[in-house]
Amino acid sequence: MAKAASGRSRTSKHLPEIDLLPVMNLFCCIIPFLLFSATFLEVTVVEMSATEGVSNSGGGATANLMRSEEDRLQPKIIITDQEMFVGTASGTVHVCYAMEMELNGEMVITYPWDSLGTKLEEVHDLLSEAYPQISFHKITVLTVEETRYDNIIKAIDYAAAAGFDQPGLQVAPSSSVNSAMAGRGD
Amino acid sequence: MSSPSKRHVPLLLGSGKSVAMSRGGDKKVSLNLTSMIDMFTILLVFLLKSYSADGQLVTVSDQLTLPKARIEKKVELKLEIQVNNSVIVVDGDPVVSVDAELLSSGNSIPVLVTRLRDHLEYSRQSRGTLTEEDKKINIQGDVGVPAILIQRVMASCSEAGYVGQNLAVIKIVSSEGGDS
Repeated sequence: MAKAASGRSRTSKHLPEIDLLPVMNLFCCIIPFLLFSATFLEVTVVEMSATEGVSNSGGGATANLMRSEEDRLQPKIIITDQEMFVGTASGTVHVCYAMEMELNGEMVITYPWDSLGTKLEEVHDLLSEAYPQISFHKITVLTVEETRYDNIIKAIDYAAAAGFDQPGLQVAPSSSVNSAMAGRGD
Repeated sequence: MSSPSKRHVPLLLGSGKSVAMSRGGDKKVSLNLTSMIDMFTILLVFLLKSYSADGQLVTVSDQLTLPKARIEKKVELKLEIQVNNSVIVVDGDPVVSVDAELLSSGNSIPVLVTRLRDHLEYSRQSRGTLTEEDKKINIQGDVGVPAILIQRVMASCSEAGYVGQNLAVIKIVSSEGGDS
């Protein structure tokens, strides 16, 4: 028969070996190159919009009216040292209180951002239902002077997630913002 | 005397040519590279996935800790302003040092406006004209700077003619979550 008397096939006696050395050489060249050129932190940007309102370069009168209506109705995220509010043309609502947390050995103020995200989604839905002809993108972050930049970016980030992706920034003295918020009508 | 060990001692790398003589005789041994090739393949795939052909467009200073956000918009190569609690740097040159007086008002910063106007004028002269893209600027702010400082820098940019202001952030990957 074809099978050898020893029980082994004759062809399996000399198995060809794959030479892995060139592959290893290739890997040893590619991996250091990729390691040096790899970017593990990706930098992105937040595009800020001017808060002055309607630009003169707009198309027609209707578009300008729409835009001015959007400007009039655009919500505001109001950040103070103690609280955070969302203000719209129809009123101001409390969102959350500030919290203190330790960061790199110092106490910093932060906020429960998920509650802001939820509130902004509600506001966006309400505005879109009430004014279906307007696409709402603009929002203004109104904050006191001492607010950390980190908190401003977080507010802008959550606003973008809720659909308000054209943020503007206004900074007002602490005294005026706090007194305005203290005397607000919910 | 004890008999020579029969343990195989690999002396040369490679497969076909990687033969070594065992201490006890003339038996040929070869190094098994399969597991190393497996490891290198996984590493290669991971590095290729994180490879960016664009390269690093923005150089983040060691003096800065950029805030994190989930924003997806890619950064473009523009004039850069770096702001931290001690100095404002334009295009690598320190322009204004940050002190209590600088943080006391909310208007533009005259020295910064002059520096930015000069840069815009230089761009206009070297290119002949200015497009909207030339009027954009990247602002890198440290997480700890107060809002009033950022507002003053942005007001200075607007006054100098830079109508598009981009705030640089580190992108959060989705698994990292939003809160920190």
